[in-house]
Amino acid sequence: MARQSATTKMARMRRMVLMAAVAGVVLASPRVADAYIGPGAGFAVLGSFAVLFVTMLVAGVSILAWPFRMLWRMVRRRTKSKPLVKRLIVVGFDGQEPRITERMMAEGRLPNFSKLAEQGCYSKLQSTFPSITPVAWSSFTTGANPGKHNIFDFLDRDPRTYLPRLSSTEIGSVDKVLKLGKLRIPLAKPTIRLLRKSKPFWTILGENNIWSTIIRVPITFPPDKFYGAQLGAMCIPDLLGTQGTFLLFTTRSSAERFQEGGLRFKLSANGSKDTFDGMIQGPENTFFEGNPPMELPLRIELDRPGRRALVAVNGEEVELLQGELSGWVKLSFKAIAGMKVTGICRMMIIEMDEEVSLYISPINIEPEKPVMPISHPSYYCSYLEKKLGPYATLGLAEDTWALNEKVIDDHTFMTQTRDIEDERESMLFAALDRLSKGVLVTVFDATDRVNHMFWRYTEDGHPAAEGIDDPEYANAIEEQYQRNDEVVGKVMARLGENDVLWVLSDHGCTSFRRGVNLNAWLLENGYLTLKEEADGSEEWLQSVDWSRTKAYVVGLVGIFLNIKGREVHGIVQPGEEAEALKAELKARLDGLVDAAKSEVAVNEIFDTDTLYRGPYKGNAPDLLVGYNHGYRISWDCAGGVVAGPVFEDNTKAWSGDHIVDPRLVPGIFLANHAINDDDPAIIDLAPTALTLFGIRPAAHMEGKPLVDGARFIRQNRSS
Amino acid sequence: MFNYTKVKLEKSMVDKIKRYAEIAGYSSPEEFITHALEKELAHLEDADSEEEIKKRLQGLGYMS
Repeated sequence: MARQSATTKMARMRRMVLMAAVAGVVLASPRVADAYIGPGAGFAVLGSFAVLFVTMLVAGVSILAWPFRMLWRMVRRRTKSKPLVKRLIVVGFDGQEPRITERMMAEGRLPNFSKLAEQGCYSKLQSTFPSITPVAWSSFTTGANPGKHNIFDFLDRDPRTYLPRLSSTEIGSVDKVLKLGKLRIPLAKPTIRLLRKSKPFWTILGENNIWSTIIRVPITFPPDKFYGAQLGAMCIPDLLGTQGTFLLFTTRSSAERFQEGGLRFKLSANGSKDTFDGMIQGPENTFFEGNPPMELPLRIELDRPGRRALVAVNGEEVELLQGELSGWVKLSFKAIAGMKVTGICRMMIIEMDEEVSLYISPINIEPEKPVMPISHPSYYCSYLEKKLGPYATLGLAEDTWALNEKVIDDHTFMTQTRDIEDERESMLFAALDRLSKGVLVTVFDATDRVNHMFWRYTEDGHPAAEGIDDPEYANAIEEQYQRNDEVVGKVMARLGENDVLWVLSDHGCTSFRRGVNLNAWLLENGYLTLKEEADGSEEWLQSVDWSRTKAYVVGLVGIFLNIKGREVHGIVQPGEEAEALKAELKARLDGLVDAAKSEVAVNEIFDTDTLYRGPYKGNAPDLLVGYNHGYRISWDCAGGVVAGPVFEDNTKAWSGDHIVDPRLVPGIFLANHAINDDDPAIIDLAPTALTLFGIRPAAHMEGKPLVDGARFIRQNRSS
Repeated sequence: MFNYTKVKLEKSMVDKIKRYAEIAGYSSPEEFITHALEKELAHLEDADSEEEIKKRLQGLGYMS
């Protein structure tokens, strides 16, 4: 034990030295200041000298005060909680489906999952209503229902405009600007606010002097401030301020081969059949009137016989083999003299015969010197980059859009997904090896993305697999679950005495064969009316006559009533009329049948007024739609298109989903200890974590601890 | 640390907020006050432009 303690102290010493070195390098190195951006909100001069000076000052004071802070913590710890465990390690596999997990465990193909279940427990895990990532992980984080944490969907709607907006992050604009001719100098930073409310369990642990390292738990942008370290995740944007936009440089005209999607740029021959030029259009340059995009020239030189290409960008050359993704490539856009914006991307030559096409992945915010706040403390992302190399920072980092649009193929998507997973695994084990006591949570996204994109190969007759015989990635989902099993095995091998391990998923997954356009259904049934001469084909419900519309769908999970006094053009009186309308819609949509397939498309409609409790429940859709297996909101409905059929085949590679009746897609939960509930819920985990550290669950938490403190100690002593 | 500022409120008001914050389901009195102010500000602030909104949602896998 003494030896282990000495080793731990050495490791902590090394960690501190490394972190101090990284902080020093990060603070001291930039000769050219890196601008601080907010999507569409521009840059701030605070990105330059002022921030550098203040940061160095804070770092200096922080280092000087460190011995006193440690002393204070030691004194306080004596009066604070009495942990029952040394470390709590939580490994999340977003979207891991229990039906597949249980079958593979029964077949002996997930030996580490089975071993963990034997040591402690395995159970399905109730998800949230709705069963989607931002909602479920927010309930994991806070131990509260959506009515208390305010995340009800990926999207919220603005009742002033009926337009959708991201539900988790608010990015403000810069109002104070100094105008100098065409130049615009922002005099403040854009505000970026996390809209998830309530209090994370790691904040409460921190208040009790328990350290937490939180890696890529969804809905952590901007990151929480607490006693610990956090790398943000969903919904960190790309450098363009979007949720992930790929770039396609091509000599082809837009009507050919590739569908629309991403940003398409022209590649032009440069006096030779082997040399092509293009211009990368980066983020908006808000230093100039009209916000023109920052540009970066790019040149491609082909070696057709060798199936190679040299891409010159930023004064550097990247060698590409046709069909193979490059490593991370740095792209630095010049904003004004002395200020640049840097991102990282991956490139791939798709074709290089008669036509030439180059794929560029969404440009991720560079983790070494991020232009937005993606970690806490701010240098934690730089520390990880220095230690492990560059890594994906985008919230939903896997390029599902490019695969949907057939710009990249299954192999490229899987390569990208597995590389991101490898990056995450390195982060997990780097953090695990450093953690002597406290909490470590790491969430892996690959399972969810592979479920979404490869479900089509797991069942006969999926419309998205039509015409694809013998696909290379027919077993991609099962292979992914086996990879997860290996990660679990490696974590188990590193567990010590009094360490607790949880493995969980936030929801499962099922088939998405048919899309349902509920706006089209509302139109057909007289609840939604179009403007005169509109045909409903416009996006974002622009065709809707709000003065004659009672209900509408914005977002992915529910239906809103057009309530007078709440929506800008509301016509439904709150109270009796609204209640009657909800009941009527529920009665007509419960058990809605897709006549063409003779299948039930909607299991049940849920009234969110009875589903949720808490101060934010007024922000929820009025009704939540519980789709059946095989059904989900259609792509058109999600984009606000009203025209077209109510039901249609889903032919996109995105062929599995979990935006269904949450009872159909629970998650999984495994632990190396017994639990006192055979039907646990994700909402129970935050209060359980606090209990394991001897802290009484907070009053706002509604989940029930899955362990009894006293019994937990007795069980562990007797085992 | 630099993103917060102090506002003076009557002590009796703060006591009342403390009492009702927990009953209403907030995790702290600060969250209660922030929410109350956010609701009022929402009536005064301008909405984002359609173009800006479209851009921010672009690439969200569940929609595209």
